[in-house]
Amino acid sequence: MGRGLRAAFRALLRKPVRVRYLTEAGEMVPVPERYRGKITYDKGACIGCLLCIRTCPSGAISTTEEKKVEFSVFKCTFCGQCAEICPKKAVKLGSDFELVVYEKEGMVVR
Amino acid sequence: MTGETRELEYDYSRLVVPFGPVHPALKEPVHFKVFVKKEEVVDVGLRLGHVHRGIEALAETRNLVQAMYLVERVCGICSHSHTTCFVGALEEIGRIQPSERALYLRTLVFELERLHSHLLWLGIMAYEIGFDTLFMFAFNTREAVLDLFEEITGNRVHHSMNVIGGVRWDLDGRMVEKVGRSMSKVREAAQRIREIFQDKTVEERLSGVGLLDRGAAQELCTVGPTARGSGLKTDVRKEDPYAAYGALEGSFSIVTRTEGDAYARTEVRIFEIFETINMINEILARLPGGSIRPGETIIRSMNRVPQGEAVSRVEAPRGELLYYVRTDGKGGLRRLKVRTPTLANIVGLRQMLIGGEVADIPVVVASIDPCLSCTNRITVIDLDKGGAGEPLRRRRRKWPH
Amino acid sequence: MAALAALLASLPAAVFLSLLFEGIDRKLHARMQGRIGPPVTQPFYDFAKLLNKESVFPSSSSKAIFASAPVIAAASSILAGAIPLASLVAGTSVVGDLILILYLLTMSSIMVMIGGSSSGNPYGAIGFSRKMVMLIGYEVPLLASILPLSLKSQHSFSYHGIVQSQVGMGTCFAFAYPSSAFAAAAFLACIPAAAGVVPFDVPEAKTEIVHGYLVEYGGPHLALARLAKDAASFALSFLALTLFFYHPPLFEGHASLGGLASAILCVAFAPAMMFLTVTVPRTVFARLKVGQAFKFCWSLPLTLSALSVVLSAAGF
Ligand code: SF4
Ligand code: SF4
Repeated sequence: MGRGLRAAFRALLRKPVRVRYLTEAGEMVPVPERYRGKITYDKGACIGCLLCIRTCPSGAISTTEEKKVEFSVFKCTFCGQCAEICPKKAVKLGSDFELVVYEKEGMVVR
Repeated sequence: MTGETRELEYDYSRLVVPFGPVHPALKEPVHFKVFVKKEEVVDVGLRLGHVHRGIEALAETRNLVQAMYLVERVCGICSHSHTTCFVGALEEIGRIQPSERALYLRTLVFELERLHSHLLWLGIMAYEIGFDTLFMFAFNTREAVLDLFEEITGNRVHHSMNVIGGVRWDLDGRMVEKVGRSMSKVREAAQRIREIFQDKTVEERLSGVGLLDRGAAQELCTVGPTARGSGLKTDVRKEDPYAAYGALEGSFSIVTRTEGDAYARTEVRIFEIFETINMINEILARLPGGSIRPGETIIRSMNRVPQGEAVSRVEAPRGELLYYVRTDGKGGLRRLKVRTPTLANIVGLRQMLIGGEVADIPVVVASIDPCLSCTNRITVIDLDKGGAGEPLRRRRRKWPH
Repeated sequence: MAALAALLASLPAAVFLSLLFEGIDRKLHARMQGRIGPPVTQPFYDFAKLLNKESVFPSSSSKAIFASAPVIAAASSILAGAIPLASLVAGTSVVGDLILILYLLTMSSIMVMIGGSSSGNPYGAIGFSRKMVMLIGYEVPLLASILPLSLKSQHSFSYHGIVQSQVGMGTCFAFAYPSSAFAAAAFLACIPAAAGVVPFDVPEAKTEIVHGYLVEYGGPHLALARLAKDAASFALSFLALTLFFYHPPLFEGHASLGGLASAILCVAFAPAMMFLTVTVPRTVFARLKVGQAFKFCWSLPLTLSALSVVLSAAGF
């Protein structure tokens, strides 16, 4: 009991624990370098080898008419396999984790 | 006051109290039908299968790389255990030997995972006995470990650490230092949590509750901390070393208790936290150099896995996790079988619950650290009656032999 | 007439203070866990929100009892909080109102319990039987701890009489006699059980029996059932402060300021009482089991109160 009491009073006197989230509109909380967020895609660099489609576990990637690919972020599980397999490094997983949109279209990365 | 009790329509001698599938004490869907006599439990029925997801069947339609990420999602807490086990089987079939450094890093994440899982569990246990403060403290400590995961692998839950023949993320000197610093902080906090757990009020709630003696534990094939709390000295890390555990054998010991009650299982986990922290420090100190993954693309590694089968075991935080993998030699799977630790432990629950009090049900259920979405591996479908089974019947496939 | 007016004015004040005290309790509880916690006004929002919701009656319930129980419970515990307030403000009270207050507090527990068990839910039934055990556990020492006060204040069972006798003594009961000091300790030790908080919240243990007798309540009825609980813990901490710790130099203030001033002072100090007897226990303890809780009530508080009764009968 004594130990619980001591720990509780120590917490009372300290600042409460908080994890910073979005503070102001547009201001993002920094994420670690390797963080796997929303995909970014460099269409120019893509050579259309479709290796990413072959290994994507969730079927989030589909081909387009111009022999390139597009990513449905809603299906993506953020495993990062596509970024890893891409021979041209055309795909990266960015730091954006705020995945809320009004239109589903907004979550397709082309 | 006796006049007012007439309002009750209940037969006090034998109430059937449903526990779950939705219950504040059991956060995951499982249904216990508990027969209660006054405050005593006289019988327990168990029903699983509410969240059967068909992962095994799904994996058979994927190639090995995709399946690797799929099995990671069997569990949200021991995700790394699942991939390690799966990849271990693939490496055995394909005779692929990961580098030393890769094995050490695999082990590092594995132990970090055990650390966060046990801290999470301590929090849950505290919550079950109504000690919300301790729950908050434990989760706050666990947060530090999750932050490390985010830093090392880029995700707090699904680390995607393993590839066939290696690991994906390396640790540089700065990160090694950071993990070390975090570990000393976690150790300090865990020490405090341990002290509170050794408090008399907590001990009173937990000791003598949910008894499972050594013989029963062995007979029911319990695994992990549940078995170790009943005095069985079993640990896959020692018995059948995988990853770098063979080399690290001297740096950890198996924690056992002989009481076989909820408090023993708690103590096993608390002391395992310290063993784990020691082991992490050891790994950081001994981290060998070299590359972390094969130079070829993962598709090439995948295609090098021939037709074959293997059984792989790892010691997940909850106990022995077992995978049976049969590959088809064309980068796909013929059959995947997952035996999660909770499936082995959950049969022991009936034994533990009968004769106990209603007040102890959540404590006893929590004491085996059930991970029920892992465990929902079976579902009973009455094909003759049609109904929900109908769509499944259409999709039923013949297992290739 | 003035007393009646004071009582009428005290009723809304008691409701307000009960909710405010819950807010303070939740904030401190959160801070002791390292959380930020809800704003102090949160219970008011909760209360207002619940009032606006629909009440659902389970088909297996006996409706009349199920619906009326929380109303009676809330009314009686608000009254139990309002009477001491009013008598401090008005400076008078009726004979034997202390007994009435304690009876009202018991009444409120019994009513919620009956309402819960009439819901036809097995959890409600278990909550009922557990609350029964707890009632027997804490009522006896709680009542017994009042006896020495009555003995020391000319056999008065009037709340105001007891408070006034502390003014007469020039010191508060907690420090006046050994017997009343033991009585104070017994009373304080009973508060967590009487207020139904961890470690004694067995009748509504969330993780075991899903809030026990509250399980089927919703909407305004839940709001009232919860208000009943809040009002009970307010009443208990206010009673504890005024019966045992009414230190005249501190609370009597200037006689010119009248009863209102001392009532306000007492209200200002009551959160400290609540912090000690409700917030701290519920933060640093794990929930006990029914048997353990009962055993606790019949060991420490009962011994203390028995000791105090014996001592006061012997004249100490
Ligand atoms: S991150 Fe994974 S799931 Fe998402 S698109 Fe890439 S491969 Fe597919
Ligand atoms: S792997 Fe890279 S280059 Fe190939 S299709 Fe995908 S994005 Fe384009």
